[in-house]
Amino acid sequence: MIFKTLVFGVIREAIAKKIFIGFFAISTLIILGFIAFVNFDSVEGIVTMSGDEVRELVLGFESFTLGVSYLLLITLCLIGVSSIIPSMLEKGNIDLLLSKPVSRSQILLGKFVGGLLLIFVSLVYLIGTIWLIVSFKFGYWNASFLSSILMLTFSFAVIYSLVIFIGITTQSSILAILINIFLIFLICPFLASREQVLFTFITGDVGHFIINFLYYILPKPNDLQTITGNIIKGEKVVSWQPVITSALFLITFLSASIFVFKKKDY
Amino acid sequence: MEVISTKNLKKEYQGSRFNKEKITALKNFSFNVQEGDIFGLLGPNGAGKTTLVKVLLGIVYPTEGEVSIFGDSIKNEKYKTRVGYLPENHKFPNYLTGEQVLHYFGMLSGMTKAQVQSRSDEYLKIVDMEKWKKTKIKKYSKGMMQRLGIAQAMINEPDLIFLDEPTDGVDPIGRKEIRDILIGLKEKGKTIFLNSHLLSEIELVCNRVAILNKGELIKEGTIDEITSTGNQHTFSTSDLSDAVINILLSQHFATLHGKNEFLVNTESPEVLNSIIDILRKNNVNILSLTKEKNSLENMFINLIGQQN
Repeated sequence: MIFKTLVFGVIREAIAKKIFIGFFAISTLIILGFIAFVNFDSVEGIVTMSGDEVRELVLGFESFTLGVSYLLLITLCLIGVSSIIPSMLEKGNIDLLLSKPVSRSQILLGKFVGGLLLIFVSLVYLIGTIWLIVSFKFGYWNASFLSSILMLTFSFAVIYSLVIFIGITTQSSILAILINIFLIFLICPFLASREQVLFTFITGDVGHFIINFLYYILPKPNDLQTITGNIIKGEKVVSWQPVITSALFLITFLSASIFVFKKKDY
Repeated sequence: MEVISTKNLKKEYQGSRFNKEKITALKNFSFNVQEGDIFGLLGPNGAGKTTLVKVLLGIVYPTEGEVSIFGDSIKNEKYKTRVGYLPENHKFPNYLTGEQVLHYFGMLSGMTKAQVQSRSDEYLKIVDMEKWKKTKIKKYSKGMMQRLGIAQAMINEPDLIFLDEPTDGVDPIGRKEIRDILIGLKEKGKTIFLNSHLLSEIELVCNRVAILNKGELIKEGTIDEITSTGNQHTFSTSDLSDAVINILLSQHFATLHGKNEFLVNTESPEVLNSIIDILRKNNVNILSLTKEKNSLENMFINLIGQQN
């Protein structure tokens, strides 16, 4: 019951801070845009296309939705949830929380699970609705598209673990946003395309080793997006390594956050 | 039964990032609080009062020493189900209503939804906040926040309540009401640990007091013990004749204090009775006989002044 209270406390905070409503409003706009688009006369004509062509079209729509959701997710994650931990640690609030019969690890895990639930519900609304629209319209039901809800929630969990760690150690939401933007939009895409881009400039073994090392220890949002795209299209996933190493990143940063939180005086 | 007990408690904080020198907030601190006490903790700013409360609640870890609450080590979080706490400058989530604050913190205290629902109205009524229960707390005044904070500290019906500056920002009528609530809790057998700057308040409600300065316990005892000036008794009488004055001065080493008042330093009831006999035998009316006391404020200022 205590854990459930902590989890729903995050949802309530997100609703009060309009994070939830913001995501809902943007998702609704995207959904309305989709409805308008699939009702265009030119799109109406597509219904007469062959089965394979319809499948390709649906997969195209779904891949586009995945890209939009990913961008929306990252932006919302950074702006919305980065303040959850610093506001929890504010004087007068943390004292009260720690005086309750709940362990520090439970408090942090409650905030973590609450954040995940927030994103999961939002993704179910956005992706689920678009899946229904596209499937009804074209009569092609691609259930594997729904797996992107889980994959995007997982991508969020990886980023959120870093947001929590920065929040716990620095109590700064701005720093959490900056580090994540730097990592997700700059470092990680570069590392993901290291063989095509970076290795053309850096040729030495030591340089390759350092870049590969960074690639493996950091989260891999781009690779996770590629894997999700493969699953949606029903293609074979070449390697699950990005999922495994990202999961290790998540576990490491979440454990480190719990460790620091447990040791600190407030 | 000892509700709180500390033994050789020590707490050191790391200095600033560039100054490695440690700051000692509590030094060798040993004390205990008995069941049913309203225990007041006094001390100037920076004396270590809040640190002590935070150590007792597991918010801050002690560097050395032992702490037990309800006879058990505080390492086990379970004791917190029997504890209520109102921190100084508490910060409830401002998007909640008064009622939702009680629900949220009640549930975090391990209560069931049904228990919280049945008790929240009762406690909001006790602190006179019932009509504001549906209002968002961001619209509350400081006094209303304090009242809600007290209800929050009581919602789980704790056996031990820590209140850090509970009357801060509360008007005199509200203070009186809070004092009445505390006395009511004491009558129910609850133990209250009160941290306040308002010495008069401590004097009115607490039965035991500890004075803390620079992390050290400098005095502890009942209010009477703390404020007592020794065994000085003041007799206030009708006209004293020279003969009576001579007897009092020679036999009982009395000190004259004005025309019809004198002081006697004794702890013996027999001596006091023999003085009364002398006065009555000489047809002197006794208007009052009082044991001299210092106010808690005077005692506090003197003690801290001596220490510093």
